[in-house]
Amino acid sequence: MTTPILSNATARAIFYQALTVLGVVLLFWYTITNTVENMSQRGMSAGFDFLDVSAGFGIGFKLIDYREGDSYLRVFEVGIANTLLVAVIGIALATVIGLVVGLARLSGNWLISTIARWYIEMLRNTPLLLQIIAWYFGVFNLLPRPRDSVEWGGLFFLNNRGFYLPSPEPGQGFGLTLIALAAGIAAAFVVRAHARQRLFETGKLPRVIPAMIALVILPALLVFALTGQPLAWNVPVLRGFNFQGGTSVPPSFCALIIALSIYTSCFIAEIIRSGIQSVSHGQTEAARALGVKPSRTMRYIILPQAMRVIIPPLISQYLNLTKNSSLAIAIGFPDLVSVWMNTSLNQSGRAIPIVAMTMGFYCAVSLAVSLVMNRYNRRAMLSER
Amino acid sequence: MSDALIFQPKAGKPAPPSTLGVVGWVRGNLVSSLPNAALTLLGAYIVYAFFSAVIGWAIVDAVWEAQNRRECLDLVGRAGACWPGVKAWIPNLIYGLYPKDQVWRINAGFLVLVLWAVPLFLPWVRSKVMIGLGLVLLYPLLASYFFHGGDKGLVWGALIALGLTGFLWSWLTAIAEARREAPLLEGRRRWILLAGLYAVSLLVVSQWVLDEVQTRLWGGLFLTLVISGFGITVSLPAGILLALGRRSRMPLIAAVSTTFIELFRSVPLITVLFMFNTMLPLFLPAGVEVNRLLRAIVAVCLFSSAYMAEIVRGGLQAIPKGQYEAAAAVGLGFWQSTSLIVLPQALRIMIPSIVGSFIGLFKDTTLVSIIGLFDLLSMARAVGEDTVWLGLFIEPFFFVTMIYFVFCFSMSQYSFHLEARLGAGQRR
Repeated sequence: MTTPILSNATARAIFYQALTVLGVVLLFWYTITNTVENMSQRGMSAGFDFLDVSAGFGIGFKLIDYREGDSYLRVFEVGIANTLLVAVIGIALATVIGLVVGLARLSGNWLISTIARWYIEMLRNTPLLLQIIAWYFGVFNLLPRPRDSVEWGGLFFLNNRGFYLPSPEPGQGFGLTLIALAAGIAAAFVVRAHARQRLFETGKLPRVIPAMIALVILPALLVFALTGQPLAWNVPVLRGFNFQGGTSVPPSFCALIIALSIYTSCFIAEIIRSGIQSVSHGQTEAARALGVKPSRTMRYIILPQAMRVIIPPLISQYLNLTKNSSLAIAIGFPDLVSVWMNTSLNQSGRAIPIVAMTMGFYCAVSLAVSLVMNRYNRRAMLSER
Repeated sequence: MSDALIFQPKAGKPAPPSTLGVVGWVRGNLVSSLPNAALTLLGAYIVYAFFSAVIGWAIVDAVWEAQNRRECLDLVGRAGACWPGVKAWIPNLIYGLYPKDQVWRINAGFLVLVLWAVPLFLPWVRSKVMIGLGLVLLYPLLASYFFHGGDKGLVWGALIALGLTGFLWSWLTAIAEARREAPLLEGRRRWILLAGLYAVSLLVVSQWVLDEVQTRLWGGLFLTLVISGFGITVSLPAGILLALGRRSRMPLIAAVSTTFIELFRSVPLITVLFMFNTMLPLFLPAGVEVNRLLRAIVAVCLFSSAYMAEIVRGGLQAIPKGQYEAAAAVGLGFWQSTSLIVLPQALRIMIPSIVGSFIGLFKDTTLVSIIGLFDLLSMARAVGEDTVWLGLFIEPFFFVTMIYFVFCFSMSQYSFHLEARLGAGQRR
């Protein structure tokens, strides 16, 4: 029996795919010919040769060294470093706040869980950009002048120029202290592994946490004292109209970090809540029936199972926070989008390479994260049934 | 046998009074233990501090009548809100720079939208799907003339008439179904009626003249609603197509869809907006002018389609394979089984995530302020840059935050309601 060509599934599949490819190719051909023509008309170039050219503009806040004469490539690197700095600090803060709010949401105390619920509803139902701008214009810009700074213990200062904190200045031989610290941490892990071994062999869990803490702190302190305390703190001091010394971050950085981490913490709180609730109550009851202490039930029975539900959406929130840090441009913090896709693009006019590089960076970050995620998922899935 | 012992249950004792009523609730939920009582105190303090600060600032110490910011500052300093500035700017916050004498057109346009949507909520209307589809597909045509106006060529005029026909047809259907005169709208009669309606609409539209209002004057809440409306309307069907493409067994179609989805999902919206803002003029033939609003709308639509596609894909994956096989066994083709069997079930599961994505889109429209459009957020920012109200930032932000919150919160509450109603048959 022969099927007519129109109802043959393979023939139709080939036809539809050919049509799609043709459409995509035509679209690309159309845009590329137009772009080439437009660029030659405006005398623009699509090459990457501008990367070595001196950018010639200053950047207000930078994590890595940059001077006005440096190349565009350096600007790109500065942008990436700033974006990653915001992402890392934001993720850490958002996780801590999210954990607290998520646990408060689960609290048996009606008042606390209601407060947590409304905190989440208020913040996640308003735009992040609005929150960033409100924190910037409404809080950090209205802080007092440097002379009347808000201060904590003469070490930390907050004013309308930014947040000032002491910076460490390691002297000769500080490396030894760091080595001692690393050795202490390694030893603590060995002790912990040993304790677990004992637990599996004898069923008794020895108290090791005090020993672990001592192992981490004492050798490092000892070496630090013996080498003559080779660490000085550069404390910011008010001179004239501004602070000198120490480290400082601009108000835009503070506003961005606070807004990003508070906004993301709402989503994290909901993820943690639903993750813990996803573990059936029978597990808790079974643990109690076996006589497991409530604290250990949480640690050894609920959390490992909840983690499987929590981790994937949590990572995607971390990725969202990283992408959302691009909103820094609205308050003038020099992140990647701001220094690269805005300032550099306007100054050099190389739209195509600059857009491609920016998107390439974000794509690379997401791809890397999703690769790690897929591996984790495969492992987490395997341990099921 | 009459003296045999028969089990006579005693009446149950009432629960201890300490677990009943208000007292029981308070004991159980607020002060069940000492740490819990401490937490309650802490919570009460947080609530008190928050509300006393907000109410004190926004109502008790606020200034309601003033000519400019200086006057406010002289009266209460920064301790109270300065509402006259916001009050003076409310027209701009809602309509942007739209000419004052033309603002009625925006109101009329939204009134038509509401009227068109009314049959969707009437219990006796049966063709809700058709009316809803017509609303989504045809309303933008009608609204385009309300909002933009100006010279309508032949094609645009015909499209506007199509929109008007859709509106009249929806109400005709609703009325006919209310009076159970459905046969009136069946068979050949329906087409004659439709043609007649279209002819009338063409006549009306040809006589209908509105001044042109350029899109650069659009702004405020109106612009926010236009952009997010476009995004919502385009992203759902486009997302469904992309999701079907990604799950397709044809490798090339799957590859094209996957690339599109992953590319747009891995970059921030602001980079997409920047890209379209700088590159769209390069992509099109020289001399073709694309206005800023259209660039932003294209970017928002593509971006949200990619997110919607992943949500739809999740919903499709949740449908058991048996459903596909049963549909195939009954002899339904791909499009029939997808649109009649799989999608209706998948869409119901997806409602919370779809609405969540709409809320995200609505919030994300604030990003267009960065590329120079005057949406609600940029209008709020403009208040503090007005010479009369210089430096007035917190009050307009507070006001605008409330607007966003009301929109987003009611959307999410409606989705819970919808989920509960549509899931009624599934609950056990």
